[in-house]
Amino acid sequence: MGERIYELEHVSYCYKKAVQKANDDISFPIYKGEIIGILGPNGAGKTTLIKQMMGQLAPTSGTIKFQGQDILNDTKHLLKQVAYYSQETFALSFLKVWESLYFTGRLRGLTRNEAKCQTEGILERLDMNEYRHTLLKSLSGGQRRLIGLGTALIGHASIMILDEPTNELDPLKRKLVWEIIQEQNQKGVTIILVTHNILEAEKVVHRVAVINHGKLLAIDHVTKLKERVDQRMRLEVITQDESSLHIQEQLGVFGEIERMEDTKFRILIEKKQVASAIESIQDDRFNIRQFSLLPPSLEDVYSKIHEQKVGEWL
Amino acid sequence: MKMHSVIHFFVELFILFRIQISIVRYQLIWILGMATMFPVVTLLFLEFIVGDMNAEKLARIIIGNMVFSILLMGMNVLAQDISHQKFGGYFTYYSSLPIRKINFILSLLFYGILTSLPSFIIVFILGQQVYGIQLHFELLLIPVTFISIFSVVGIGVSIGFLSPNPQFTNVVSQFLLMFVTFMTPVMVNLDQLPSILQWISYLLPTTYVANALHGMLTVGWTTTTGNELFILLIFSYISYLIISKKIHWRV
Repeated sequence: MGERIYELEHVSYCYKKAVQKANDDISFPIYKGEIIGILGPNGAGKTTLIKQMMGQLAPTSGTIKFQGQDILNDTKHLLKQVAYYSQETFALSFLKVWESLYFTGRLRGLTRNEAKCQTEGILERLDMNEYRHTLLKSLSGGQRRLIGLGTALIGHASIMILDEPTNELDPLKRKLVWEIIQEQNQKGVTIILVTHNILEAEKVVHRVAVINHGKLLAIDHVTKLKERVDQRMRLEVITQDESSLHIQEQLGVFGEIERMEDTKFRILIEKKQVASAIESIQDDRFNIRQFSLLPPSLEDVYSKIHEQKVGEWL
Repeated sequence: MKMHSVIHFFVELFILFRIQISIVRYQLIWILGMATMFPVVTLLFLEFIVGDMNAEKLARIIIGNMVFSILLMGMNVLAQDISHQKFGGYFTYYSSLPIRKINFILSLLFYGILTSLPSFIIVFILGQQVYGIQLHFELLLIPVTFISIFSVVGIGVSIGFLSPNPQFTNVVSQFLLMFVTFMTPVMVNLDQLPSILQWISYLLPTTYVANALHGMLTVGWTTTTGNELFILLIFSYISYLIISKKIHWRV
């Protein structure tokens, strides 16, 4: 699997006066050069875990090792190598776009020329050159997030922790962010990605850790996790209108059907039945506007994990 | 190698300071306006009500207002500003960077000094005009001023960092501003206060700030001023120790 960058061993964290632990006995390694996604609903304990991995919170119990050393012993060594993109970019609100990148680069130890050079490159890559003299607070939420990502890109970090990097971004900008994440990974940067955007993350992450109620529910390679969910294909159909009242019965013959919205259905079909099912639904009586055929996705895995008991997927 | 570390230390401090200044640059004129208005209005108000007074008392009022301006910017505004940054999530950014905590604290202290200085100077100049007296000036006044402001700014930074919420910061800093200005020997002499307030006054740096500035601006540098300054350095050091021990921005 390669060199272990991080090693979390029975990590728990409990906030003062909190009834429930924010993190509860979490153990897993993170390997050099991988993209690992940390998934979980709001309040699952993802950000608390990240803050511990950044040395901002000390675990209540357990240890976090960074390159073999307990991070409590040498936070500075950790911070020189890890760039953190937080959802909170307020500290930079009153800085101009170029300043926020340049100053962050300087604080990460870049020389004046390096910081200038990297600032220019990042502005270009993020397509934000025209906003270089704009204050961050005057940008849209999505643009601010891009600059936040830029502050994680500047410097020579070998690990990037990105907390919801695609929130508030339009589809084009999201695509750009996923491209940048892959580019960084190809350069050898280890990426730890916290996200809700499971469908898009699936395209880039190598491994996934699912957390809820502070507990680690599952961790494995995406393909291995997918093998553990229902292997039937997902045929999603959208009908012209709600008049196709009997469609549920008629399509139900192909497999288990679920009405997702008024005119949207999902049928789980055995692979050998896919061809006949597709042929059948093109019949006029079904009045189908569009359909799509999907293999099991990470989203299915995610839903399934949450339905099952803690520990069943570990 | 050592030289490189020293240079890096100051570069880091300078950049953090620049970020702090950048945060307020667009509101600076309003902040300074407000910070100057209160001491100047108090100065003028006292001119209306005090009537004839000797030069010694007039000097005390002007110096008291100079201390008031330090309190307003270096303690009140700074404490609220830091509290706002702390609870607004600003520190998450700083704590994720490989910077020294001492530099982060120093940048806030220098920022406090810099923003306190203009209104301090304005009151110094305007006070002499309003009351028609001439205060003594010598170059040693500059370090005395810096150390004086530093000792008060330390309190502002401490309140901002240690408050459990911004409302608490607001209440504490407002209370201290009024209490220190009017219930300790800032506008009046120590012997004009009840004994309980006299005892409390010994625990506050502003008493020594007012004394040091009074000494410098009326007779110039003396051994007594040196003693006051020494006490202020101790106050500054204690503030720094409290801030650095109590701020847990990282493990």
